Amino acid sequence: MTRWAMIADLRRCVGCQTCTASCRHANATPPGVQWRRVLDMEVGEYPDVKRAFVPVGCQHCENPPCMDVCPTTATKQRADGIVTIDYDLCIGCAYCSVACPYQARYKTLRATFAYATPMASETTRQDDATLAVATKCTFCVDRIDAGVAAGRTPGVDPEATPACVNACISQALAFGDLDDPQSNVSTLLRENRHFRMHEELGTGPGFYYLWDRA
Amino acid sequence: MSRAATPYGPNPWQQRHWDARAAANFVCGGMGSGLIVAAALAGAFGPALAAPMGVGVALIALGLASVFAELGRPLRAANVVINPRTSWMSREALAAPLLIACALAAAAGYASFAYIAAALALVFVYCQGRMVQASRGIPAWRDPWVPVLFVASGLAEGFGLWHAVAAFTGARAAWLAAALGVLLVVRIVLYRGYRRQLGKALHRDAAAALDRSGRILLWAGTLVPLALLASAAVLPGAPWLAAAAGLLAAATGAGFKATLVLRAGHTQGFALPHLPVRGVAS
Amino acid sequence: MTGTTARIPTYCYQCVAGPDLLTVKVEDGVATEVEPNFCAADVHPGGGKVCVKAYGLVQKTYNPHRVLTPMKRTNPNKGRGEDPGFVPISWDEALELVAAKLNQVRADGLTDASGYPRVAVSFGGAGTPQSYMGTFPAFLAAWGSVDMGFGSGQGVKCYHSEHVYGEFWHRAFTVSPDTPHCDYLISCGANVEASGGVVGVWRHANARVRGMKRVQVEPHLSVTGACSAEWVPIRPKTDAAFLYALLHVLLHEVPRARLDVPFLAHHTASPYLVGPHGFYLRDRASRKPLVWDASRGAAMPFDTPAMEEALEGRHEVDAIEVGADDEVLGDGRMVGETAFSKFVVHMKPYSPEWAQGICDVPAQTMRRIALEYVEHARIGETIEIEGERLPYRPVSVSLGKTVNNGWGGFECVWARTMLAAVVGGLEVPGGTLGTTVRLNRQAPARVDTVTAGPDGFMDYPLNPTDKARWSPHPNIRNAYRTMVPLAANGPWSQALGPTHFSWMFLDETPKGLPRVTLPDVWFVYRTNPAISFWDTEKLGQTMARFPFTVAFAYTLDETNHYADVLLPEATDLESLQLIRIGGSKFVEQFWHFQGFALRQPAVATRGEARDFTAIATELATRTGLLDKYNASLNKGAAGVPLKGAHWDFALETGQPHAPEAIWDAVCRAASAELSDGKDVHGLEWWKEHGLATKPFPQTHWYLFPTLVRKRLRFELPYQERLWRVGIELGRRLHEHDMHWWDKQLTEYQTLPVWKDFAAPWHAALVKAGGQPDAYPFWLLTARSMQYAWGANMGIQLMKEVADNVAGHRGVIINAGAAAKLGIADGDTITIATPARSVRARAVLRQGIRPDTLLLLGQFDHWAMPTAKDFGMPSMNSLATMSLDLTDATGSSADIVRVSVTRAARGATQ
Repeated sequence: MTRWAMIADLRRCVGCQTCTASCRHANATPPGVQWRRVLDMEVGEYPDVKRAFVPVGCQHCENPPCMDVCPTTATKQRADGIVTIDYDLCIGCAYCSVACPYQARYKTLRATFAYATPMASETTRQDDATLAVATKCTFCVDRIDAGVAAGRTPGVDPEATPACVNACISQALAFGDLDDPQSNVSTLLRENRHFRMHEELGTGPGFYYLWDRA
Repeated sequence: MSRAATPYGPNPWQQRHWDARAAANFVCGGMGSGLIVAAALAGAFGPALAAPMGVGVALIALGLASVFAELGRPLRAANVVINPRTSWMSREALAAPLLIACALAAAAGYASFAYIAAALALVFVYCQGRMVQASRGIPAWRDPWVPVLFVASGLAEGFGLWHAVAAFTGARAAWLAAALGVLLVVRIVLYRGYRRQLGKALHRDAAAALDRSGRILLWAGTLVPLALLASAAVLPGAPWLAAAAGLLAAATGAGFKATLVLRAGHTQGFALPHLPVRGVAS
Repeated sequence: MTGTTARIPTYCYQCVAGPDLLTVKVEDGVATEVEPNFCAADVHPGGGKVCVKAYGLVQKTYNPHRVLTPMKRTNPNKGRGEDPGFVPISWDEALELVAAKLNQVRADGLTDASGYPRVAVSFGGAGTPQSYMGTFPAFLAAWGSVDMGFGSGQGVKCYHSEHVYGEFWHRAFTVSPDTPHCDYLISCGANVEASGGVVGVWRHANARVRGMKRVQVEPHLSVTGACSAEWVPIRPKTDAAFLYALLHVLLHEVPRARLDVPFLAHHTASPYLVGPHGFYLRDRASRKPLVWDASRGAAMPFDTPAMEEALEGRHEVDAIEVGADDEVLGDGRMVGETAFSKFVVHMKPYSPEWAQGICDVPAQTMRRIALEYVEHARIGETIEIEGERLPYRPVSVSLGKTVNNGWGGFECVWARTMLAAVVGGLEVPGGTLGTTVRLNRQAPARVDTVTAGPDGFMDYPLNPTDKARWSPHPNIRNAYRTMVPLAANGPWSQALGPTHFSWMFLDETPKGLPRVTLPDVWFVYRTNPAISFWDTEKLGQTMARFPFTVAFAYTLDETNHYADVLLPEATDLESLQLIRIGGSKFVEQFWHFQGFALRQPAVATRGEARDFTAIATELATRTGLLDKYNASLNKGAAGVPLKGAHWDFALETGQPHAPEAIWDAVCRAASAELSDGKDVHGLEWWKEHGLATKPFPQTHWYLFPTLVRKRLRFELPYQERLWRVGIELGRRLHEHDMHWWDKQLTEYQTLPVWKDFAAPWHAALVKAGGQPDAYPFWLLTARSMQYAWGANMGIQLMKEVADNVAGHRGVIINAGAAAKLGIADGDTITIATPARSVRARAVLRQGIRPDTLLLLGQFDHWAMPTAKDFGMPSMNSLATMSLDLTDATGSSADIVRVSVTRAARGATQ
């Protein structure tokens, strides 16, 4: 079996938003729609203050709350764990958006552009199917599927790897198959202490945060 | 419609996915359902049945039309019924046409449909409560008390509206006023239980909004209407006093649901159970 | 949907932390995505990746606000409130306009009555625009004397003291820890996670996962502080006291044997004997400085073989003592004390207990950090690098802006370098390294720039201070040759002078310097001084007086608002250039490879924009300089000499060549250089491959082995040469009745005395009519990776992602301090000096001192599209250009005393 998962090493992340920008590029999302973004979290009181940078986005949960509530079955879960949205089924009710504890979903009613005048780089990739429906991180599923079909290893071979992982300049993001005990992600989880966001909700995220050596 | 960018960040923020149009669905749906139940139980017939049934259907339809207006792809609205297996929205959407049909039939004079309509109305408002509870992104919504609170409030609001309608139609049912009184007490007790359950889990702005609504629910939504109902029992002008009590019951219930969706609907935000160790622990 | 998709390799050098590699995805001729260039992953120290800024290049290309035709001004009145009345014109008309002015200058003479060049050129970006301006440097070389000193912040807002002193002491224009091998790093304000680029971030992420402990000493919890093991919230402008306290602990609380005594004795000037007048005691015949040789029991010249130099002690010796201007101050038996002994005594008062009241850092913290530093230093250990056994000292100290510039910068850089030296961690694996040189003569590798100078030290091209050669007639307006000996006189020196002087002296030239005049023609490229320098309001008014300004324009901005001609150059993804990569470059770019990378058009040029190379060739043609221009290219002005030992791709000098032809020749020469003539690849090959490299030895990262081989010493701790230079400079200035640099002259010291380096800013406040109590906050600025450098302010995507990082939508203030002033998060506040005020939204945070405010970046735009709607103010509107705040090397610092009051509840825009 395959279970795709992503890892963010909080020791490495510097909050630079390179992954945020590369996701915008790779997925041609409209301004403000950040399927991947990095939070700037501050904890404590002066002078005992800590600050961490936390990549967030769809966690591709084992028990996705979004899937249960979706009235149209537009949101589905693949056997390999990736949670998908069929834009053509979606009615844009945003129920999934309020069901998501990670605020990973977006809905853009109309085509929006960076500046008042649309740019060629935007119009050439404008996909009306994504308007007025729910959208979110897909783990760059098209790249993964194409890569696997071509015999590449997602998370290792860049052409088969999510754009954010490719772009990360501190090597904070990793991607791979949790069901393979020798994969990069399995190794990272073995060698480091980790947690998942909002674990107590029982969503079973496919997204792990590393924070220290094991 | 342009909206300000969501203040996305580590701290909870008021959700903006569902706006007043969605709130209106819960507001109208709840009181419409309750009104249909009250109409059926009142045992009236003729205009005294048709009027509340009609108003109930109108409210339900208004709520559904309102939420329809919020859909991104309204032309695909029929897809909403595809997933009754897990989605309370699908179930709500399946119950709605049946409810409306039965209620209209009852209003048209087929009185036996009134009880079926009442049962479907309970199902409908319960679906709405479960819908909100399944919204796991919003701490104030995903509470187990929400469905029963929605049902209780829907009934209180609907029974209240019945008295407002009855003031025009002249329908009488003394025990309904007593039932309204009981429902008001049940509602506030359930609300207090719900609020206690939430405890400190709410963002302070959500808590402030909810508590304000709760205070209104207690005073304007329970104590004052109870006083009005009590005086209606002994004073002349009873129908109008009861109507006033009923309108307060309905308005405060609506206000609570609107607050829940629009002012106390904060996301959970993000939390780190462990902070990263950058090099060495300090 | 079928169509063509291509991935075009290119480079990004928008900031000094580069260059880095990327590919641009082009779909049916439209650039859509930026991605790393994974083909470069094996050679690039950042895995072939680019930082967030490079992802703005797609929007940069298609930005609808781009200036896409040449334009000329129709409104003769220049002013902030005046609409320039730019109208589109043809290239021919534009170039004729410019050429006419240039030809007039050639007719009048390249320099004016004051002796200053009539043509001035301002590039920003600390030299990075050179990687985008094609062959324009060849045009400037052909032209002749040009004034490049009208700054946009360089020299004063950069790492200025580190530049000049770093290069003087260890060929370190900038300084970096040897991060991959470092275990303990003390960083005083160096914000590498924001400004260190891909390679800096990559290396430090690896280091901290490996276990390197970084202590970030900084008044606010920057991105770097966040990613560090420990944050020390030091009071602003007190780092000198902090560093002095660390040195004090190492010298007075740790047994001497725990320091790297052999390093100090053999490889620094520590054993040099200092005479009664403060100068070295010298051998009478050879004039070489003397040391006490314990094995011979006598004073010997420093370079005597097989010595046991005494690190400490006083000895009576027979010698001469030579002071400034070659004056012999003493001859005969004199008592000499070793420089190191003097150093130890000098540091005695600077205990952690003394420092704690100044720095607001507990003495115990400073003591602990000093001890951790020496504990991690592994003195005596070695490591093998590429077969060579080198000292291994995995400890380092790095400095950031406002610490290594302005008053106190000298002291901080000196103290840092001494901290490295006392543990033998200077220019060795694991330790404190220089990156590259700008002021010393360039060479293929930094290590090759080391040549023997006087007294056993490295040679350094100090500007002359002797009577015969010093002159008050400077070559350019900022007078660097005259005023700043350390600025040297290389191609980059103009930007290392006090670049604010060019602006300031236009109003009033200080006594002794020729009257500073307006340039006849001013070229501006990739820089926006009206935003990025100080006293921006005044600066704009000054720019308005320039008679003819030619701006290579991307969009309208606050500087080209005052231009006469706008020339749209083909921007990053549209033009052609080849640059050198690898070796060791600024910030943290230490490669195991060196070579070249191509920047090529990923898409067709938009509008009427033209490749800079084409513009440069046109200008050369129209000013009769074509032969010289081509000759300059042949000599290497485009980065590689076109004629080398084994190749000749020289261009015919008599005719203009298209950009493709020029860069094809450069490409061939570059590939020939890389392969010693064996593999020659033209432009087409480079377009396909993007880059080519050959190995670069890691041993070249470290200067120490070269010094050992050349039997040279680090000129530390005692600054005898600098002191002498300072005395001479003072004499020359006074001989010309120039007394306005006297305060700066006090910075020339043999062993710098600690002073209150915050005091000049207090004094400036009082001079402006304010009292420190009424202006209790220190306003600082810090880098933002998303925006830093260049025209990224107008890129929507950069704004969008930057807003995820705290502080990009207002001014950061301590939450407790804000509460005391009744300020809530999001309130509009007024930040004021006695003269000016700005407004900002309050961003309440815990990670900042209560007495400090932080304004990220440099905003306050009023002309640049998109940026002018940010509503973000800038420190630059509050800071003034002032001689009082300028140190001896001509730098100052981004720091202002301000007051804070609430202006309104919530945001007002």
